[in-house]
Amino acid sequence: MSRSALEAPSSDPTIAASASAPAPTPTSRSLLGRPKASPLSTTILILGAVYCLFPVLWVVMAASKDGGELFSTFTLAPSGNFFNNIVELSQYRGGLYWRWMLNTALYAGVGALASTWVSAIAGYVLAKFTFPGKSTVFTVLLMGVLVPGVILAIPQYFLMAQIGLTNTYWSVLLPQIISPYGIYLSRIYAAGSVPTEVIEAARTEGAREFSIFNRVALPMMGPGLVTIFLFQFVAIWNNFMLPYIMLGDDKLFPITVGLSGLLNQGASVPSMYTLVIMGALLSIIPLIAMFLLLQRFWKVDLAAGAVKA
Amino acid sequence: MVFPSGTPVRKGHPVATTTRIEGDAAPPRDRSAASPRKRLNGSRWTRIGIPYAMLAPAIILFAAFMAAPILYTLYLSFQKKQVVGLGLGSGGSSQVFAGWENYAAAFGDPEFGASVGRVFLYGLVLVPCMLGLALLFALLLDSPRTRAAGFTRVAIFMPYAVPAVISSLLWGFLYLPAVSPFYYIFDKLGWDAPQVLSSNLILFGIANIALWGGVGFNMIVIYTSLKAVPQDIYEAARLDGASEIQMALRIKIPIIAPSIVMTALFSMVATLQVFAEPTTLRPLTNTLSTSWTPLMKVYRDAFTRDDIYSAAATSIIIALATFALSFLFLKIVQRRAFGQED
Amino acid sequence: MHRIFRSSAIAAVAAAALLTTGCSAGSGGDSGPVELSYWAWAPNLEQVVEIWNEQNPDIQVTVNKQDGGDPAITKLLTAIKAGSGAPDMIQAEYQKIATLVGSDALADLSDQGAGDLEDVFSEGDWDQVTLGGDAIYAIPQDTAPMMFFYRADILDSLGLTAPTTWEEYAELARAVHTANPDQLLGTFSANDAGWFTGLAQQADAEWWGIDGEAWTVGVDEEPTQKVAEYWGGLVEEGVIGNQPMYTPEWNAGLNDGSQVGWLSAVWAPGVLSGNAPDTAGLWEAAPMPQWDADEPATGNWGGSTTAVTTQSEHPEEAMEFITWLNTDPEAVTALADVSGVYPAAQEAAAEALTTAPEFFSNQTDFYDVVAEVAETANPFTYGPNVNVAYSAYNDEFAKAADAKTQAAFIEAVTQMQKITIDDLKSAGFTVKE
Repeated sequence: MSRSALEAPSSDPTIAASASAPAPTPTSRSLLGRPKASPLSTTILILGAVYCLFPVLWVVMAASKDGGELFSTFTLAPSGNFFNNIVELSQYRGGLYWRWMLNTALYAGVGALASTWVSAIAGYVLAKFTFPGKSTVFTVLLMGVLVPGVILAIPQYFLMAQIGLTNTYWSVLLPQIISPYGIYLSRIYAAGSVPTEVIEAARTEGAREFSIFNRVALPMMGPGLVTIFLFQFVAIWNNFMLPYIMLGDDKLFPITVGLSGLLNQGASVPSMYTLVIMGALLSIIPLIAMFLLLQRFWKVDLAAGAVKA
Repeated sequence: MVFPSGTPVRKGHPVATTTRIEGDAAPPRDRSAASPRKRLNGSRWTRIGIPYAMLAPAIILFAAFMAAPILYTLYLSFQKKQVVGLGLGSGGSSQVFAGWENYAAAFGDPEFGASVGRVFLYGLVLVPCMLGLALLFALLLDSPRTRAAGFTRVAIFMPYAVPAVISSLLWGFLYLPAVSPFYYIFDKLGWDAPQVLSSNLILFGIANIALWGGVGFNMIVIYTSLKAVPQDIYEAARLDGASEIQMALRIKIPIIAPSIVMTALFSMVATLQVFAEPTTLRPLTNTLSTSWTPLMKVYRDAFTRDDIYSAAATSIIIALATFALSFLFLKIVQRRAFGQED
Repeated sequence: MHRIFRSSAIAAVAAAALLTTGCSAGSGGDSGPVELSYWAWAPNLEQVVEIWNEQNPDIQVTVNKQDGGDPAITKLLTAIKAGSGAPDMIQAEYQKIATLVGSDALADLSDQGAGDLEDVFSEGDWDQVTLGGDAIYAIPQDTAPMMFFYRADILDSLGLTAPTTWEEYAELARAVHTANPDQLLGTFSANDAGWFTGLAQQADAEWWGIDGEAWTVGVDEEPTQKVAEYWGGLVEEGVIGNQPMYTPEWNAGLNDGSQVGWLSAVWAPGVLSGNAPDTAGLWEAAPMPQWDADEPATGNWGGSTTAVTTQSEHPEEAMEFITWLNTDPEAVTALADVSGVYPAAQEAAAEALTTAPEFFSNQTDFYDVVAEVAETANPFTYGPNVNVAYSAYNDEFAKAADAKTQAAFIEAVTQMQKITIDDLKSAGFTVKE
């Protein structure tokens, strides 16, 4: 790949139209008044929402049933065992489910924070510095996107075993901090939201490069980083293969591995469908809460905030 | 959330903004260092040392957790287990060099060829559907005439938060006639419902699960780049009397084309890696084999057959194919969509 | 952003705290008690182990619950290859032992005096843990003779009785399906290789064997062909289902009575009570239908052993524990009562299991039937590539079940043989054909 290819994010003409777009004029639309509603487009979107929500409705209904009802009553008819199932899930092996939940929060929370920071600084450097070997570094990092996690898990286990870290929190945390996708996005955000003049000004004032990044660039990239954080958070939250391979101790399991264990008990033990369904339902809630909470940042970033500084 | 820069692997672009920094690379903080010699060192350190120091976390983590495992996989793909006699007890088996044997076995396996074909068909069904719907939803969300946009945006995005293993379990319930509300309703109406888990339709059943999980994500990606388009462009078009549909086709889609290209690329990569959905559905039906997709074959070889060597070789083939395809795709799209820009 | 980073610092500290506790749990200090880890999946096994831990403060055992049989073995093999990360002990199904021994994962227990335990177990079970040699690779934990479970209420209402031969089973299947087209006596599950192996074992199949210094593979021989032909015929006729077991649909069938019978093993009450609790008291157990009524036989589906891994630093203490777990009357009783398995230690099991499982309270002689059946289990040798044969079963019989023809079932047996033997050869095993 040619060296100049690397400059794409900031020099690409299309970026002017998107990431580094000038703030829209907020008044222009209201001058014309709100256009009249289109029933067709609203209907299409509502249909889309129904399609996406229907299986979730199913989970909620199924979560209210006991083991027998789950397979004997009409699937969408609710039953009264919702809270019983929560209690039963909470009592399973001394509240192990909640431990899994905490583990998952730890893996995803700490992992995504660390990942966001690493991606941010790497993306910032790749967007804003010119140095020998830059294109190679970026290309190689980006190729990581192409390698599926299933393939990596076993060799990662072998390497972790070499340093004696299998079956620890580290074994799940560390490999998920590197995110080629996050670095790629972060490079775009840095190119679009951190003006070179600002960096130069900070340098003239004698600031060190690391502190320019931490104090000047990082806040400017903030909203974009929230997006990276969210994606990495979801990726870790939903990851199954890595913790499945790395962990033997069920007290370290994240939700995905724990629930799969309840489902795959082997032929001689019934699958704990009621617990799995309730467990799945409860595990989605934190993610949804987080999206609702953080989507504000999202909007700010991409509609207006990007180039204000 | 944007992929506005278009392709990361593009060639021949003018080097503009970033080169500017190079000129004044020696930062003024070095003024404390009086000697010119030190200053020279400082400038060299700033030009090469600082960027690499700041990249160090990413490079080290990448080397440790991606590069090293990949190289190790490459090494394993040229090894095999060699058993002696009955192969029992210690010393019953050892690891020996296999040459291209594992690769030859993978290419010689008709099931592997079939699974590759299946994944292509699957991608052909899924990617256009996913992107088409995502684009449609995003354009509708962006249209000032749409109501309930806030609610529908969150609702359509929500499945993204559901792990693939769980979503496949859910849809599995909905696909099985005895427990599915759809079949119940069809039955009450006296209609013959199609059997999603039958060999003709299973591919669509799996594509549907992936579509359900991914359409919201892609919608948000496209929607956010739409939001970044300056509104005055639209105002001008509106004053010219353009309809919403005309504006979508003539203005919005061309502007966000690079974003769509990137979404397509990432969707393609994800498609080639389809694994969790068919694996979760497999116990429910006779129509999914243990090597239904290439990645399922990797999993089966490594996990149920305890043959990591074959699995490693297949992994390498998949990774190379993914790389080649992504590259090819970008080449084609680049010529078509960005040709005039260069 | 500031706030995010402060909270990240707090989270990092919390993580570090958790990590240290996580690490220290694994390794026993020099002075403290010996700590042993045990990977297992039998339900509530940790409660059985708790009894031991209370009585033996010097040897503390921690159960790490695993997903069913296969994943635990995969993880163990990975850990063995990596050179670290394996537990001290593992619950391993009988069919996994040859594979594990081939990877040098299991310690030979004959030095630890395991030979003294031979008489506690049935000959068939003991053969499986020695692979017919002098070494002893595991101690039998539970055994799982196959039986026929059926909805007595439905058969009664049709004026039918439990079959004693396979011929009668086929007739019963036709009668049930004719009486009510929604009902099936059973299903042929291409997903459960262990189930089919048990059926083949009952028919005297010998899938693997050792002939001098070579392995033999005998899948595609008369006994297995006979079984495949029989089931292929019933599936083609449509009187037996072709969908896998353990699906939500199958569970629904158990609940609504559309699955009238189930060829399963002694652990079936646990599965039935979990999946169809409302049908308690409606089921009865009977010995398997027979090929030859004069020579009753059965196969096994499931059953497991406890083994010590080669990575254990305390094989003696581990041996002490697994001897207790599988032979001590108190432990065996707990295994049966708390964990719900049918212990392999014959006498202790007979003493522990007197009252029928609650789900089968209508059949007071439940365990008499089991004891009678358990003695008739045919011997069976598992080879070093059971996993390959099983995944071949999944693929080939799935195709056959989907095709619903007898010919496809017979072809599936041929393919299974071919895949199994090709795999042995390509790995370098000496194979005699």
